[in-house]
Amino acid sequence: MSSEQDQLKETDTEARFEFKKEEKSAFKTGKGLTEETIRVISEDKDEPEWMLERRLRALKQFQQMPMPTDWPGQPDLSEVDIDEIVPYIRPDIEVRGGAEDWDDLPEEIRDTFDKLGIPEAERNALSGVGAQYESEIVYQNMQEQWEEKGVVFCDMDKAVQEHEELVKEYFMTKNVPASDNKFAALHGAIWSGGSFVYVPEGVTVEMPIQAYFRMNSEGMGQFEHTLIIAEDNSEVHYIEGCSAPKYSHFNLHSGGVEVFVGEGAHVQYSTVQNWSKNTYNLNTKRAIVEKDGTMEWVSGSMGSKATMLYPATILKGPGATDNHITIAFAGEGQNIDTGAKVYHNAPNTKSTIESKSISKDGGRTNYRGLVHIADGAENSSTSVECDALMFDNESTSDTMPYMEIQESKVDVAHEATVGKIGDEDVFYLQSRGLDDDDAKQMIVAGFIEPITEELPIEYAVELNRLIELEMEGSLG
Amino acid sequence: MSTGVHAAIDEATVRQLSEELGEPDWLLETRLDALAALSDLDFPDVIQTPGRKWTDLEDLDYESLVDPLNAAESKDQVGPEGVEVLSFSEAVEQHGDLLEERFGSVVDPKTNYLTALSTALFSTGTVVYVPEKVDAEDVKVRTTMNSRSLFNYTLVVAEESASVTLLERQDTGDAVDGSRYYSGVVEIVAGENAYVQYGSLQDLDQETYNYQIKEGRAGTYGQVDFIDCNVGSRLSKSTVETHLDGDSSETKIVGAFYGHDDQHFDIDARVWHRAENTTADLVTRGVIDDHARSVYEGVQDVGRDAWNTSSYQRENTLMLSDESEADASPKLIINNHDTEASHSATVGQVDAEDMFYMTSRAVPERRARNMLVEGFYVPVLEEIEVDELREDFESVVRTRLANRD
Repeated sequence: MSSEQDQLKETDTEARFEFKKEEKSAFKTGKGLTEETIRVISEDKDEPEWMLERRLRALKQFQQMPMPTDWPGQPDLSEVDIDEIVPYIRPDIEVRGGAEDWDDLPEEIRDTFDKLGIPEAERNALSGVGAQYESEIVYQNMQEQWEEKGVVFCDMDKAVQEHEELVKEYFMTKNVPASDNKFAALHGAIWSGGSFVYVPEGVTVEMPIQAYFRMNSEGMGQFEHTLIIAEDNSEVHYIEGCSAPKYSHFNLHSGGVEVFVGEGAHVQYSTVQNWSKNTYNLNTKRAIVEKDGTMEWVSGSMGSKATMLYPATILKGPGATDNHITIAFAGEGQNIDTGAKVYHNAPNTKSTIESKSISKDGGRTNYRGLVHIADGAENSSTSVECDALMFDNESTSDTMPYMEIQESKVDVAHEATVGKIGDEDVFYLQSRGLDDDDAKQMIVAGFIEPITEELPIEYAVELNRLIELEMEGSLG
Repeated sequence: MSTGVHAAIDEATVRQLSEELGEPDWLLETRLDALAALSDLDFPDVIQTPGRKWTDLEDLDYESLVDPLNAAESKDQVGPEGVEVLSFSEAVEQHGDLLEERFGSVVDPKTNYLTALSTALFSTGTVVYVPEKVDAEDVKVRTTMNSRSLFNYTLVVAEESASVTLLERQDTGDAVDGSRYYSGVVEIVAGENAYVQYGSLQDLDQETYNYQIKEGRAGTYGQVDFIDCNVGSRLSKSTVETHLDGDSSETKIVGAFYGHDDQHFDIDARVWHRAENTTADLVTRGVIDDHARSVYEGVQDVGRDAWNTSSYQRENTLMLSDESEADASPKLIINNHDTEASHSATVGQVDAEDMFYMTSRAVPERRARNMLVEGFYVPVLEEIEVDELREDFESVVRTRLANRD
């Protein structure tokens, strides 16, 4: 490892995530969700009329849809009361749409991202960074070399102004309509911030670009929208990081992600999320993949009180490919309900899902997945593999895959295993001089390796470190 | 919540059925209770994914299907010496106490709308009683349905250290105009160290709608095995469940189905691990052809106190036609970490390499395919201890394949 990587490893991850800042905002709506609130948000953002109309339509849909309550084993959402949420907080910054220099940010915000290690990562490994604090992007930068090729990476609010035609065409229209589910509707009504990525035909963005989302205030909701359009034969890797400190009151995160993968294009979307243990993380993420395109989802779901998140891919063109790699960790009081959905709607499409989960101290993990092979999607193949590791008897781990197969010329396989950490493995490592904690941590690191090896080294190190933290103090 | 209970599904009907069977008051009360509960009960759970329900039971027109007072069947109940194989009315006379103790002890009549309907309206059935330490092989119950509807009830009790293998089969005889409805409730109790293998072959005609629920409870060191073969009916919902209540109890649930034309099979296999050192093995293999559709749900539920559980599940579907659909959802619910559990499911077509191998050895293509389909069932058929069941299933498969293009 280089010295930089050593340094990253030694950063005190716990201190990085758990600190909180005094709330300081320039503009903040009242609690709850009304038409008035929506109008105020839209006006504060100086949005075009069509966007306001979309928001208001989504609000109506939200009000009409029931909360999901009857899925087998789903997290309890009874505490999620929208009337108790502050949907929009604009932090006190001078440059709307994000500063281009960290030094232009108010000290406490800069300090936050310093502690999270974002500027350092940007210098070392990224081609661009967007940083969202509460409801707005506060920093946005894209290295010149990519900008020259026509790559756009900006915050979503700015995109509404500067790339209006593209946004109008793609924003919650063909991919994730507000009518998709209760929280997509909520998101459509009060979305704020997030990233807009546009990669022109044939352009490869060789280094990952990153957006980091930080919720700081108590009782707020964060609803960022990410729209990625990768034109034919382009390539981009987008990384999203999220965190929030813990308050006594719950927070709500309900983001929306829409990815368009053009013909022969390749998009990787990586997330390492570490929400505080009182955050409800209810996201909708979906990709549409054209002919011979490839979509890759890599997600680490750490933190949160409850997560309901099933990134979905629609394989629309022949020869399209989708890969999901996910890892979930649930400790005390946490319910992580996550999985993947794939719709094979064309011939010769291919998908793989690899899901790993760890539960401990009463945590609950659930893999909930759907593989749909439409009539006519011949020669499609899919393989789903789920492994769950359980540390103790207070924890719960469920696997609920659904497979809908309407085409005979297919190859469909699902496999799942659940087990405890192997006594023999621990004994083996102990007999080579490791103590019990180290032995178990090493086994866990091995267990999640298929995930970490897909991530840039900084993220892999962070994921490992987060898991070590989760396990500390309870393994003795 | 259900609505629209048929006019003939009323108290007078229930009282008449009970009287004809010469039933004691407690059983009449149980029936009336079930009848009264109908309006509050839901239909059986079926799998739902966004935008669709995998099996639609609510929309069946029970009013035209159910005709409880005109039930007709021919039944053949045989068993070896030392074991009692009784018709339900005989059992009411001879084993009143046993019935009172066991009836509804495994399948709660109020499990759902259709179980309650069965309890209120059943008119025929079989009670198999195997006393302590008796080994009984090849008990056979053959039911031929000759009426619009038939409600059947089966109770198998194997006392401590007893063992029994049995086959129950259903088919249809005299034709009726329009559709029919067959409903079967099966309860199996395996005492300490007892062994029960219950095999069934459902071969009803394709005008018949079919609902069956088969549940077993296994005591300490007990074992309940199910073989659930489905080839007939227009639409079947078949639920097979084992409750591993005693330490070191075991179950094997073996399923086989073959759907063609526009048949619809909805098959559930569930196991509840509720004691220590229990083992479950679930294997289902099915073939689906023409416009047929199969829905499979497997559940392995490991309770908080089920230490040292082993639980395995496999489901494989072979699709022979592009118009068919195979849905599967094998579920694991694990609350105890001292568990080794796995499940897997596959869907595919006849293996191209196998076909190539056989055709390259001069086996004509059609014959090669038929042999491979027959061979596909071998791992599940091997588990069947009653020869008649295995042979009958194989012959149905062979005939269907022969009649195919």
